[in-house]
Parts: sequence; C-alpha cells; structure tokens
Amino acid sequence: MGGLRRRLAIALVALVAIAVLGIGVGTYLFVDARLRDALLADATRQAQFNLSVLVPDRMAPGLTADTFEATGLPAAFRLRGDVEEVVDFGAGGVYVSTARLGGALATFPDGLRSSVDAGRLGYAWAAIGGEPALVVAGRPATAPPASASPPTAPAFYFVFPAGSIDLALGQLRVGLAVAAAVALLLALATAGLVARGILRPVRAGSLAAARIAGGDLSARVAGGGSDELAAWAAEFNRMADSLASTIGRLEASESQNRRFVAEVSHELRTPVTALVAEASVIEAALVDLPSDARRAAELLVADVRRLRVLVDDLMELSRFDARAEQANLEPLDLGRVVGSIVAARLPGAAVSLPSHAVVVESEARRLDRILGNLLDNARTHAAGSPVEVAVAVDPRGAGASVTVADRGPGVAEDALPQLFDRFYKVDPSRSGGSSGMGLAIASEQARLLGATLTAAARPGGGLVFTLRLPATRSLRDGDDPVIDGPEADDEPDPSSPATLRSSE
Amino acid sequence: MDGRILLVEDDSSIREITTLGLRAAGFEVLTAADGLAGLERFRAEMPDLVLLDVMLPRLDGLEVCREIRRESTTPVVMLTARGDTIDIVVGLEAGADDYVRKPFEMPELVARVRAALRRRGREAGSEGPARLRLGSLEIDVAGRTVARDGRDIPLTRTEFDLLVELGQRPGQVFGREVLLDRVWGYDYLGDSRLVDVAIGRLRAKIERDPAAPALVLTVRGAGYKVARPAVAS
Repeated sequence: MGGLRRRLAIALVALVAIAVLGIGVGTYLFVDARLRDALLADATRQAQFNLSVLVPDRMAPGLTADTFEATGLPAAFRLRGDVEEVVDFGAGGVYVSTARLGGALATFPDGLRSSVDAGRLGYAWAAIGGEPALVVAGRPATAPPASASPPTAPAFYFVFPAGSIDLALGQLRVGLAVAAAVALLLALATAGLVARGILRPVRAGSLAAARIAGGDLSARVAGGGSDELAAWAAEFNRMADSLASTIGRLEASESQNRRFVAEVSHELRTPVTALVAEASVIEAALVDLPSDARRAAELLVADVRRLRVLVDDLMELSRFDARAEQANLEPLDLGRVVGSIVAARLPGAAVSLPSHAVVVESEARRLDRILGNLLDNARTHAAGSPVEVAVAVDPRGAGASVTVADRGPGVAEDALPQLFDRFYKVDPSRSGGSSGMGLAIASEQARLLGATLTAAARPGGGLVFTLRLPATRSLRDGDDPVIDGPEADDEPDPSSPATLRSSE
Repeated sequence: MDGRILLVEDDSSIREITTLGLRAAGFEVLTAADGLAGLERFRAEMPDLVLLDVMLPRLDGLEVCREIRRESTTPVVMLTARGDTIDIVVGLEAGADDYVRKPFEMPELVARVRAALRRRGREAGSEGPARLRLGSLEIDVAGRTVARDGRDIPLTRTEFDLLVELGQRPGQVFGREVLLDRVWGYDYLGDSRLVDVAIGRLRAKIERDPAAPALVLTVRGAGYKVARPAVAS
C-alpha cells in the first residue's frame, strides 16, 4: 500500500517537474530572444543614423585616428545613447573611444569585417574585455570617389553594452529556479494528499477484506461515484454479499443437521431405555431359554448395548454442539483419579504414576470419559496387546500429561489427525462395539477441560494418545490433600504459585 | 428384601419392563402413567419408595416430587433422561434423594432402589450418639432435627444424613466416593457430582455465610470434612 502511494506521488511530482522545466526553459529562451531583438533594433537604428546623418555631416576627407576626436563625432554619438566606437581608418590608424577597446578590432569576427568591406551594415554579439556587447558596423553613406580603389571611408564599429541583457536573464534564471522549487514542493505535498485520496477506497477495500477474513461477514466498502474504484467497490460488496449468504445458508443447514441429530437421538432415547431394561431382564433369564433362542437373545442383548452406546454418544456430541456442556473444575490428584479409572475400566493395563500427588484443576467425571474412551479404543483396536497408562508432570511446569499407549497395528501417519473425526473408522471390520464417536467425544471433553488430546505413532509399533492438561494452581508444599489442619480452607489460596507443582 | 414401590412413568414399555424387573427382584410394584395419577396413588397407597420419571404428562415429575416432599419423607428416586449437572441440581432441589440416568439396566436400578430402602431401614435403628453439637448447631440424631439458637432448620433426608456422617467424626476428611457409599449407599459407579450438589445445598441451609463456609469445609483434592470444634468454645 505504502509503495503504491509513493509511486503515485513520485509520478505526479515528476510530471510537475517536467512541466516546470519546459515552461522555464521556454520562458528563458523567449525572453532572451526578445531582449536581444530589442537591443539589436535599437542599435541598428542608431548606427544607421550615425553613419547616414552624423558622420557624413561632420567628416572631412583625410581624417585620421588622431584627428577624429576633434570632429566632435564621438560626443555626438554619445548623446544618442550608451555607445562606444572603434573607427578603422585603414592607413590612418584605429580610433578607440575608450582604452578598453584597444586591440578589440582584431577580435571582431571575420564575418563582421567582411560584411563591412562589402559595404553592408553588419552586427555581431561579442565579449569585449569579458563584457558582453553588441557590435554594429558599417561605413558612412557618403560614397567615396569611384576612382579610389582602396576604400578610403573609415569603418565604424559601434559597440553597444549588452550586460543588461545578461543581468536581466540572470535575474530571470533565479526567479524561474525559485518558482520551480516552490512549484515542486507544492506538487510534492499535493501529490501525497491526492495519492492518499485516490487510494482511500483501495485502503477501505483492504480493511474490509481483512475484516471479512477475520470472520466479520458484514464488512462492506462505502461506494458512490461512477469511477473505476466505485465499480470495484460495488463488485467487492457483491462478492461479500454472496459470501455472507452462502455461509449463512451453510450455517443454517449445518445447525439444521445438528438439530436433527439432537432430536433424533432424543426421540430414540425412550425406546432405547425400554430396550436396555428389557435386554437386561432377558440377560438375567438366558439360562432358562432353549439353546437357539438363547443365542438369539445373547445377540439381542449385545446389539442393544451397542445401540445404547451409539445413542448415548450421539446425545453427548449434540450437547457439545449446542454448547450445553460446561466444565466444573476443581483441584484433584491426577495420579489417584487416573489410577481408579484404569482399575475400573481396564484392570489389565500397566499403570505408571508419579510417587507424589500431581494436583490439577480438572473434572474427574470428564477425565473418566476421556480415558474410558481411550481405553475402549485400545481394547477394541489393539486387542491382546499390552496397554500402558502413564501420568507425568512437565518438568518446565507447563502442565501434566496422561499417555495411553498400545502395541496394536497402529494407524498410518496421514490418518492420525482424522482419528478424532466423528464416525472415522480406521478399519470398519474391527470397530467392535464402538460407535465411532468415542475419540471425537474424548477430544471434545479434553477441549472443555482446557486440555489437548493428540495421537502419534509409537516407536516400535502401536499408537500413543497424549492428554495434556494445562498448568494450574497447585497445593503449597506441605499442604498435602490428606493433611488435616485448620489452614485447609475452602478456596485455593490466591497467593499460591500459578504454576503446577507437585508436593512430595 | 421387599417393599412397595410406586413407579410413575408415562411410556408403557418402560413401565411394564421396569415393573417386571422390580417384581423379579422381590418388590411389590404399583404404577401410574402420569403425574396427577401418581400423586393420587401415592396418597392412597403410601408406598415405601417412589420411582419418578421427570418428563410426565399432566403434572411434571419435579412438581410431583415437591408435593410428596411436603407430605412425607418417603424416598424418591428420579429417572432422568440426561445426566446434566443442572438436572441433578433441579432434582435434588425438588427433594429427590437420588437419580438414575436413562437408559438403565435392571440390576443397576434394583441396586439403587435397595440402597435407598436400606438407608431408610438404617435410620430406624439409629447408631452412634443421639445428639451432636457442631458450632452453634444442635443435631438431634435420633429425632432427625437440626436447630440453631432454638430454631429448627429443615433438612432433607439426604442433607441430614450427610451432616451426621461428617459431624460424627469432626476433622476427618471424607472422600466423595466414601460419602457416596455411606450416605447414598453405592460405590464409585455413582456420580460424585451428587455429593457436591448436596454439600452445596446443605451449606446454604446451615452456614451463616454459604460463600465462606465455617462448618462443612472442602479439602482440596480430597473431599469434605467438618471443622474440629475450637478448643476455646
């Protein structure tokens, strides 16, 4: 965004700079030409007057450089303006009206001298003694005797100072430079503002896009006007509308689906309740049944149990979807809770617990759901393999973890994340009595406890599930759960460290 | 052990199979299909225990429970469709002694019913001291009354049993499972939230400031206990 604005500003300033430069140079050349034209016209007029009126009137033949002053011509020339002159008398010497012009004759351009020799009035721009000057030259209008083969009339070189032109041009240059600088600075400031103005809708658009990306589907760009940006804003808003309505439709159908599942599982509950009670009565009477009926009754009892698990799990997930579940955290000894859960659910599993109490803020009932489902999973998918359950404290105080590891067939690396998807079955033929929702439920329960549940391949074969519980306030040292004392008050002491610690 | 059980359940299949199962376990079973009929049957027959569905036509199960509680101390076990804490709280507030989550298997239901009846039988032939003193509370164990400054505090059967269980051994910490076993009469397969909810309701009645309990204390990570009397008092 910043880059675009800078580029736009630079382009605008460059445009202004080119315009200023063009106008400046044009003005300079124009003024220069006009000043020189004016000086030249004036000088030519003066020179013509001098040569055609003053000189013929006062000049006598045989005049030389030495006697020229006495004719009063130089004074007469001076009366008509600021002019100096060089008069070339040929053999009669060279007259200069001021010492500064001594030797200047040789420096006059050849073109000037040749036009004078040809009898024409000529001019040239020259620098005399470092000063700029306009030299206008010619011979007096009085024609010499035609017999005189070498021209006898002296050549007059009138030197008009042109310094005022350079002075004026110099001032113009300074003026133009200052004006250009001011114009560029103004252009720079204006360009910044203009660029921002032009880019404001783009900026608004990117803010709106960021809001949409952040989940706020109501973000729109203020439109208006009829330029390309307004068309773009309208297009952007149309896209946002369509996105919002698509997502709204998806959400509506999603929540409809969830409501449907919730209602179905709720409606199933009454017949399932009857079925479960009936199956339990039949189970108690199995021995009294004839053998084929007995086998059918056994299958019936097992299938009713499966149905019950399925409906229970569906109900549980529906409650998560409806956000009807909330955790009631309390301090508990993780090792003790895990020990009793494993003893009740899978007594054959090897349990490794720390020798000291590991106190976490959690909920025993939900830990029982999580570990129960993990143990069920191990029993179903790794039947016959040793199952190991371990409780460990993160040495950096970042929490505690429970791992459930088996030596079953394991799961392909890329299928690991899908394990927690609803109804995901690695091998449908090995699903046993599970609903396919057990791990999804365990994962949801863990989330509710602020914990994470992950699965990984175990080195040497098998799966390992890790439940990481967050660090919470713990008992102070010596404040052992079974110690009986008046300081064992109702609420956790707010002054106790906020990191999990184990008390020996 | 036998006894007369009133089963109030609107679904005929559940009513019939539950009746069958309870009869097989040796109980005499009376049934009603809605709340009003259940209340009438209760008043007419005076059963030893009531099994009450929560969702009932005509009169809600919780309302039936409150009515029964107003008239007698007969044990009431609620049959709840869900296991949410809020359902347990609402049921206990209505005066129920226990709850069984649907779906249930008959052996589980029979065990709960027997436990509830056993508690009733136990209190008839009371054991331990006849009177307890707990701070400013006077507990008449035999008469099943609690008073503070001469004023009776009405407690439900469960709340009273819980208080006596804890009060008989001041200072001793009782785990939730132990309390489930001693007060409700069944072990870890029960839901320990029952204990927490009942403790909360007990505190609301006997503590001067239920938010800062002085009589029934929580022992973090372990369970509950009653404070040992201060030496000076």
